[in-house]
Amino acid sequence: MRLFEATEQGTVEIEIGEDIEARLEELAERNRELFRERGIRAFDITGSVGAGKTSLIAGMVERLSGRHGVGVIAGDVATTRDAERVTGKGARKVLQINTGGMCHLDASLVYRTMERMPESGIDVLFIENVGNLICPSYFSLGVEARVAMVSASEGAHVIEKHPAMFESAALVVLNKTDIAEAVAVDLSRPVADLEAMRPGLRVVRTNCLTGEGIDEVVEALGLA
Amino acid sequence: MHEFSIASQVWESVARAAREHGGGRVLSVSLELGELNLVEDEQLRFWIGELGKRDGSPGVKLKIAKVRGKVSCSECGAEGEAGLPGGELDHFAAPVLSCKGCGSRNVVVTGGRELRVVSAEIEKGEANGGKG
Repeated sequence: MRLFEATEQGTVEIEIGEDIEARLEELAERNRELFRERGIRAFDITGSVGAGKTSLIAGMVERLSGRHGVGVIAGDVATTRDAERVTGKGARKVLQINTGGMCHLDASLVYRTMERMPESGIDVLFIENVGNLICPSYFSLGVEARVAMVSASEGAHVIEKHPAMFESAALVVLNKTDIAEAVAVDLSRPVADLEAMRPGLRVVRTNCLTGEGIDEVVEALGLA
Repeated sequence: MHEFSIASQVWESVARAAREHGGGRVLSVSLELGELNLVEDEQLRFWIGELGKRDGSPGVKLKIAKVRGKVSCSECGAEGEAGLPGGELDHFAAPVLSCKGCGSRNVVVTGGRELRVVSAEIEKGEANGGKG
Protein backbone atom coordinates (compact mmCIF):
# COMPACT_ATOMS: atom_id res chain seq x y z
CA MET A 1 0.00 0.00 0.00
CA ARG A 2 1.32 3.45 -0.80
CA LEU A 3 0.21 6.97 -1.12
CA PHE A 4 0.28 7.96 -4.75
CA GLU A 5 -1.62 11.10 -5.22
CA ALA A 6 -2.74 14.20 -3.42
CA THR A 7 -6.01 14.83 -5.23
CA GLU A 8 -6.97 18.21 -3.86
CA GLN A 9 -6.20 20.22 -0.83
CA GLY A 10 -6.88 18.24 2.31
CA THR A 11 -7.55 14.92 0.65
CA VAL A 12 -5.28 12.07 -0.33
CA GLU A 13 -5.85 9.04 -2.46
CA ILE A 14 -4.34 5.84 -1.14
CA GLU A 15 -3.72 2.82 -3.24
CA ILE A 16 -4.92 -0.34 -1.53
CA GLY A 17 -5.00 -3.17 -4.07
CA GLU A 18 -6.46 -5.72 -1.68
CA ASP A 19 -8.10 -8.78 -3.17
CA ILE A 20 -11.30 -9.47 -1.25
CA GLU A 21 -11.46 -13.08 -2.46
CA ALA A 22 -8.06 -13.65 -0.87
CA ARG A 23 -9.29 -12.04 2.33
CA LEU A 24 -12.35 -14.33 2.40
CA GLU A 25 -10.03 -17.29 1.94
CA GLU A 26 -7.94 -16.10 4.90
CA LEU A 27 -11.06 -16.10 7.04
CA ALA A 28 -11.86 -19.65 5.91
CA GLU A 29 -8.30 -20.65 6.78
CA ARG A 30 -8.75 -19.22 10.29
CA ASN A 31 -11.73 -21.59 10.73
CA ARG A 32 -9.72 -24.50 9.34
CA GLU A 33 -7.04 -23.83 11.98
CA LEU A 34 -9.62 -23.59 14.75
CA PHE A 35 -11.19 -26.90 13.73
CA ARG A 36 -7.75 -28.51 13.52
CA GLU A 37 -6.72 -27.25 16.96
CA ARG A 38 -9.89 -28.57 18.55
CA GLY A 39 -9.88 -31.85 16.64
CA ILE A 40 -13.20 -31.10 14.95
CA ARG A 41 -14.29 -32.56 11.63
CA ALA A 42 -16.62 -29.93 10.18
CA PHE A 43 -19.11 -30.27 7.33
CA ASP A 44 -21.05 -27.57 5.44
CA ILE A 45 -24.52 -28.85 4.52
CA THR A 46 -25.96 -26.79 1.66
CA GLY A 47 -29.13 -27.01 -0.39
CA SER A 48 -32.32 -25.17 -1.29
CA VAL A 49 -35.10 -24.32 1.11
CA GLY A 50 -36.92 -27.60 1.76
CA ALA A 51 -34.25 -29.91 0.33
CA GLY A 52 -34.12 -31.78 3.64
CA LYS A 53 -30.94 -30.43 5.25
CA THR A 54 -32.34 -30.36 8.79
CA SER A 55 -33.80 -33.89 8.47
CA LEU A 56 -30.47 -35.19 7.19
CA ILE A 57 -28.57 -33.55 10.04
CA ALA A 58 -31.07 -34.80 12.62
CA GLY A 59 -30.71 -38.33 11.20
CA MET A 60 -26.89 -38.15 11.24
CA VAL A 61 -26.81 -36.75 14.78
CA GLU A 62 -29.04 -39.62 15.93
CA ARG A 63 -26.67 -42.15 14.41
CA LEU A 64 -23.43 -40.53 15.62
CA SER A 65 -24.17 -39.19 19.09
CA GLY A 66 -23.34 -42.52 20.79
CA ARG A 67 -19.70 -42.40 19.72
CA HIS A 68 -19.08 -38.76 18.82
CA GLY A 69 -19.56 -35.40 20.45
CA VAL A 70 -21.64 -33.74 17.76
CA GLY A 71 -22.11 -30.00 17.44
CA VAL A 72 -24.60 -28.36 15.09
CA ILE A 73 -24.73 -24.80 13.80
CA ALA A 74 -28.01 -24.04 12.08
CA GLY A 75 -28.05 -20.99 9.86
CA ASP A 76 -31.33 -19.37 8.97
CA VAL A 77 -32.57 -15.98 7.98
CA ALA A 78 -34.93 -16.06 10.98
CA THR A 79 -36.37 -18.32 13.75
CA THR A 80 -34.85 -21.20 15.74
CA ARG A 81 -37.05 -23.89 14.15
CA ASP A 82 -34.15 -25.87 12.69
CA ALA A 83 -32.18 -25.85 15.91
CA GLU A 84 -35.30 -27.06 17.74
CA ARG A 85 -35.68 -29.97 15.33
CA VAL A 86 -32.12 -31.16 15.95
CA THR A 87 -32.13 -30.66 19.73
CA GLY A 88 -33.13 -33.88 21.43
CA LYS A 89 -31.39 -36.07 18.84
CA GLY A 90 -28.31 -36.32 21.06
CA ALA A 91 -26.18 -33.42 19.85
CA ARG A 92 -23.86 -32.00 22.51
CA LYS A 93 -24.56 -28.45 21.43
CA VAL A 94 -26.90 -26.90 18.90
CA LEU A 95 -26.47 -23.23 18.04
CA GLN A 96 -28.60 -21.12 15.77
CA ILE A 97 -27.27 -18.30 13.61
CA ASN A 98 -29.93 -15.91 12.38
CA THR A 99 -28.40 -14.10 9.46
CA GLY A 100 -31.12 -11.43 9.48
CA GLY A 101 -31.65 -11.42 5.74
CA MET A 102 -28.26 -12.60 4.59
CA CYS A 103 -28.59 -15.44 2.08
CA HIS A 104 -25.57 -17.49 3.13
CA LEU A 105 -23.23 -18.17 6.03
CA ASP A 106 -19.71 -16.84 5.83
CA ALA A 107 -16.50 -17.84 7.55
CA SER A 108 -16.49 -14.97 10.04
CA LEU A 109 -20.08 -15.68 11.16
CA VAL A 110 -19.12 -19.30 11.80
CA TYR A 111 -15.96 -18.23 13.63
CA ARG A 112 -17.93 -15.95 15.94
CA THR A 113 -20.51 -18.67 16.58
CA MET A 114 -17.73 -21.10 17.52
CA GLU A 115 -17.03 -18.86 20.54
CA ARG A 116 -20.32 -20.13 21.98
CA MET A 117 -19.47 -23.77 21.21
CA PRO A 118 -17.90 -25.77 24.10
CA GLU A 119 -14.10 -25.78 23.71
CA SER A 120 -13.84 -29.52 24.19
CA GLY A 121 -16.04 -32.56 23.74
CA ILE A 122 -17.05 -31.79 20.15
CA ASP A 123 -15.37 -33.78 17.39
CA VAL A 124 -17.97 -33.60 14.61
CA LEU A 125 -19.63 -30.37 13.52
CA PHE A 126 -22.50 -30.04 11.06
CA ILE A 127 -23.08 -26.54 9.76
CA GLU A 128 -26.46 -26.13 8.12
CA ASN A 129 -26.15 -23.33 5.62
CA VAL A 130 -28.98 -20.96 4.69
CA GLY A 131 -31.43 -22.61 2.26
CA ASN A 132 -30.04 -21.38 -1.04
CA LEU A 133 -28.27 -23.21 -3.84
CA ILE A 134 -26.38 -20.20 -5.16
CA CYS A 135 -24.85 -17.67 -2.76
CA PRO A 136 -23.32 -20.11 -0.22
CA SER A 137 -21.20 -21.57 -3.01
CA TYR A 138 -19.11 -18.37 -3.09
CA PHE A 139 -18.21 -18.50 0.60
CA SER A 140 -15.88 -21.16 1.95
CA LEU A 141 -16.42 -21.89 5.64
CA GLY A 142 -13.10 -23.70 6.04
CA VAL A 143 -14.74 -27.09 6.52
CA GLU A 144 -13.47 -30.56 5.67
CA ALA A 145 -16.20 -31.15 3.09
CA ARG A 146 -19.26 -29.51 1.62
CA VAL A 147 -22.36 -31.62 1.11
CA ALA A 148 -24.74 -30.32 -1.57
CA MET A 149 -28.26 -31.60 -1.11
CA VAL A 150 -31.05 -31.55 -3.67
CA SER A 151 -34.50 -33.06 -3.54
CA ALA A 152 -36.44 -34.73 -6.33
CA SER A 153 -39.09 -32.01 -6.35
CA GLU A 154 -36.53 -29.37 -7.35
CA GLY A 155 -36.76 -30.65 -10.90
CA ALA A 156 -34.59 -32.53 -13.35
CA HIS A 157 -32.40 -29.53 -14.25
CA VAL A 158 -31.37 -28.45 -10.78
CA ILE A 159 -27.73 -29.55 -11.12
CA GLU A 160 -27.21 -28.04 -14.54
CA LYS A 161 -28.64 -24.69 -13.41
CA HIS A 162 -26.50 -24.35 -10.29
CA PRO A 163 -23.03 -25.45 -11.35
CA ALA A 164 -21.07 -23.43 -8.78
CA MET A 165 -22.51 -25.31 -5.82
CA PHE A 166 -21.80 -28.71 -7.32
CA GLU A 167 -18.31 -27.75 -8.41
CA SER A 168 -17.39 -27.16 -4.78
CA ALA A 169 -19.23 -30.15 -3.23
CA ALA A 170 -17.46 -33.29 -1.99
CA LEU A 171 -20.70 -35.26 -1.81
CA VAL A 172 -24.14 -34.86 -3.33
CA VAL A 173 -27.23 -36.12 -1.51
CA LEU A 174 -30.30 -36.72 -3.64
CA ASN A 175 -33.22 -36.61 -1.22
CA LYS A 176 -36.95 -37.39 -1.46
CA THR A 177 -36.26 -40.03 -4.10
CA ASP A 178 -39.57 -41.64 -3.09
CA ILE A 179 -41.59 -38.78 -4.60
CA ALA A 180 -39.71 -38.48 -7.89
CA GLU A 181 -42.40 -40.32 -9.80
CA ALA A 182 -45.21 -38.31 -8.22
CA VAL A 183 -43.59 -35.05 -9.36
CA ALA A 184 -42.67 -36.53 -12.76
CA VAL A 185 -38.93 -36.06 -12.37
CA ASP A 186 -36.52 -38.51 -13.94
CA LEU A 187 -33.63 -38.70 -11.48
CA SER A 188 -31.26 -40.12 -14.06
CA ARG A 189 -31.04 -36.59 -15.54
CA PRO A 190 -29.49 -34.79 -12.54
CA VAL A 191 -27.23 -37.78 -11.95
CA ALA A 192 -26.01 -37.65 -15.57
CA ASP A 193 -25.47 -33.86 -15.37
CA LEU A 194 -23.38 -34.35 -12.27
CA GLU A 195 -21.34 -37.11 -13.88
CA ALA A 196 -20.60 -34.80 -16.84
CA MET A 197 -19.57 -31.96 -14.55
CA ARG A 198 -17.70 -33.90 -11.85
CA PRO A 199 -16.92 -37.40 -13.08
CA GLY A 200 -16.84 -39.87 -10.21
CA LEU A 201 -18.35 -37.54 -7.60
CA ARG A 202 -20.34 -39.65 -5.15
CA VAL A 203 -24.13 -39.31 -5.09
CA VAL A 204 -26.14 -40.83 -2.25
CA ARG A 205 -29.91 -41.26 -2.61
CA THR A 206 -31.90 -40.71 0.54
CA ASN A 207 -35.37 -40.50 1.98
CA CYS A 208 -34.60 -38.55 5.12
CA LEU A 209 -38.16 -38.96 6.38
CA THR A 210 -37.73 -42.73 6.79
CA GLY A 211 -33.96 -42.53 7.30
CA GLU A 212 -33.19 -44.51 4.16
CA GLY A 213 -29.70 -43.77 2.85
CA ILE A 214 -28.53 -41.73 5.86
CA ASP A 215 -26.17 -44.53 6.97
CA GLU A 216 -24.58 -44.29 3.55
CA VAL A 217 -24.11 -40.52 3.90
CA VAL A 218 -22.42 -41.07 7.27
CA GLU A 219 -20.16 -43.64 5.66
CA ALA A 220 -19.40 -41.42 2.64
CA LEU A 221 -18.28 -38.63 5.00
CA GLY A 222 -15.91 -41.05 6.70
CA LEU A 223 -17.83 -40.92 9.96
CA ALA A 224 -19.04 -44.54 10.12
CA MET B 1 -27.65 -10.65 -0.18
CA HIS B 2 -23.98 -11.53 -0.07
CA GLU B 3 -23.31 -7.83 -0.49
CA PHE B 4 -23.08 -7.32 3.27
CA SER B 5 -20.30 -9.91 3.67
CA ILE B 6 -18.39 -8.34 0.81
CA ALA B 7 -19.03 -4.76 1.94
CA SER B 8 -17.74 -5.66 5.42
CA GLN B 9 -14.49 -6.99 4.00
CA VAL B 10 -14.09 -4.03 1.67
CA TRP B 11 -14.74 -1.60 4.48
CA GLU B 12 -12.34 -3.37 6.83
CA SER B 13 -9.61 -3.11 4.23
CA VAL B 14 -10.33 0.59 3.59
CA ALA B 15 -10.60 1.46 7.28
CA ARG B 16 -7.23 -0.19 7.94
CA ALA B 17 -5.60 1.74 5.11
CA ALA B 18 -7.18 4.98 6.33
CA ARG B 19 -5.87 4.39 9.86
CA GLU B 20 -2.38 3.79 8.51
CA HIS B 21 -2.56 7.11 6.70
CA GLY B 22 -3.61 9.31 9.53
CA GLY B 23 -7.13 8.12 10.20
CA GLY B 24 -8.99 10.82 8.31
CA ARG B 25 -12.57 10.49 7.10
CA VAL B 26 -13.00 8.25 4.05
CA LEU B 27 -14.53 10.17 1.16
CA SER B 28 -14.64 7.49 -1.52
CA VAL B 29 -13.69 3.91 -2.24
CA SER B 30 -12.78 2.52 -5.67
CA LEU B 31 -13.58 -1.08 -6.38
CA GLU B 32 -12.92 -3.37 -9.30
CA LEU B 33 -15.83 -5.78 -9.55
CA GLY B 34 -16.23 -8.73 -11.89
CA GLU B 35 -19.81 -9.19 -13.09
CA LEU B 36 -19.67 -12.95 -12.49
CA ASN B 37 -19.55 -12.37 -8.75
CA LEU B 38 -23.28 -11.57 -9.00
CA VAL B 39 -22.91 -8.66 -6.64
CA GLU B 40 -25.59 -5.99 -6.82
CA ASP B 41 -23.99 -2.54 -7.15
CA GLU B 42 -26.77 -0.71 -5.37
CA GLN B 43 -26.82 -3.04 -2.37
CA LEU B 44 -23.06 -2.80 -2.12
CA ARG B 45 -23.26 1.01 -2.22
CA PHE B 46 -25.93 0.95 0.47
CA TRP B 47 -23.84 -1.21 2.81
CA ILE B 48 -20.63 0.75 2.28
CA GLY B 49 -22.67 3.86 3.07
CA GLU B 50 -24.02 2.30 6.26
CA LEU B 51 -20.60 1.07 7.40
CA GLY B 52 -19.16 4.52 6.67
CA LYS B 53 -21.91 6.15 8.71
CA ARG B 54 -21.15 3.79 11.60
CA ASP B 55 -17.41 4.46 11.53
CA GLY B 56 -17.24 8.23 11.18
CA SER B 57 -17.24 8.50 7.38
CA PRO B 58 -20.80 9.51 6.54
CA GLY B 59 -21.47 10.15 2.87
CA VAL B 60 -18.68 7.87 1.64
CA LYS B 61 -18.98 7.21 -2.11
CA LEU B 62 -18.37 3.88 -3.77
CA LYS B 63 -16.91 3.93 -7.28
CA ILE B 64 -17.31 0.65 -9.11
CA ALA B 65 -15.34 -0.36 -12.20
CA LYS B 66 -17.21 -3.34 -13.67
CA VAL B 67 -15.22 -6.13 -15.33
CA ARG B 68 -17.04 -8.21 -17.95
CA GLY B 69 -17.19 -12.00 -17.78
CA LYS B 70 -14.66 -13.63 -20.09
CA VAL B 71 -14.18 -17.26 -20.98
CA SER B 72 -11.76 -19.44 -22.84
CA CYS B 73 -13.48 -22.26 -24.74
CA SER B 74 -12.15 -25.77 -24.17
CA GLU B 75 -13.87 -27.01 -27.38
CA CYS B 76 -13.01 -24.49 -30.09
CA GLY B 77 -10.30 -22.50 -28.34
CA ALA B 78 -12.07 -19.16 -28.74
CA GLU B 79 -11.50 -16.53 -26.11
CA GLY B 80 -13.81 -13.69 -25.35
CA GLU B 81 -16.88 -12.40 -23.63
CA ALA B 82 -18.95 -15.07 -21.92
CA GLY B 83 -22.25 -16.06 -23.49
CA LEU B 84 -25.19 -16.39 -21.12
CA PRO B 85 -27.56 -19.03 -22.50
CA GLY B 86 -29.60 -18.77 -19.29
CA GLY B 87 -30.33 -15.10 -19.97
CA GLU B 88 -29.23 -12.05 -18.03
CA LEU B 89 -27.05 -12.32 -14.96
CA ASP B 90 -29.02 -11.94 -11.80
CA HIS B 91 -28.60 -12.67 -8.15
CA PHE B 92 -30.91 -15.68 -7.91
CA ALA B 93 -29.93 -17.53 -11.04
CA ALA B 94 -26.51 -19.11 -11.16
CA PRO B 95 -24.81 -18.10 -14.39
CA VAL B 96 -24.64 -20.74 -17.08
CA LEU B 97 -21.72 -19.64 -19.25
CA SER B 98 -20.97 -20.59 -22.79
CA CYS B 99 -18.62 -19.86 -25.66
CA LYS B 100 -20.02 -17.18 -27.98
CA GLY B 101 -18.19 -18.84 -30.86
CA CYS B 102 -19.42 -22.45 -30.80
CA GLY B 103 -21.98 -22.40 -27.98
CA SER B 104 -20.15 -25.00 -25.90
CA ARG B 105 -20.56 -24.86 -22.14
CA ASN B 106 -17.17 -26.42 -21.67
CA VAL B 107 -15.49 -23.11 -20.85
CA VAL B 108 -12.95 -21.83 -18.36
CA VAL B 109 -13.63 -18.46 -16.76
CA THR B 110 -10.74 -16.06 -17.44
CA GLY B 111 -12.30 -12.81 -16.30
CA GLY B 112 -15.22 -11.39 -14.39
CA ARG B 113 -14.45 -12.81 -10.96
CA GLU B 114 -12.41 -9.78 -9.84
CA LEU B 115 -13.19 -8.31 -6.46
CA ARG B 116 -10.47 -5.85 -5.57
CA VAL B 117 -10.30 -2.71 -3.48
CA VAL B 118 -8.27 -0.46 -5.75
CA SER B 119 -7.95 2.72 -3.73
CA ALA B 120 -9.63 5.08 -1.33
CA GLU B 121 -9.74 8.83 -1.04
CA ILE B 122 -9.40 10.09 2.51
CA GLU B 123 -9.31 13.42 4.22
CA LYS B 124 -5.80 14.35 5.18
CA GLY B 125 -5.34 13.47 8.84
CA GLU B 126 -3.01 15.16 11.36
CA ALA B 127 -0.47 12.33 11.36
CA ASN B 128 -0.25 12.21 7.60
CA GLY B 129 3.01 13.64 6.38
CA GLY B 130 2.48 13.42 2.63
CA LYS B 131 3.69 11.04 -0.01
CA GLY B 132 5.21 7.82 1.26
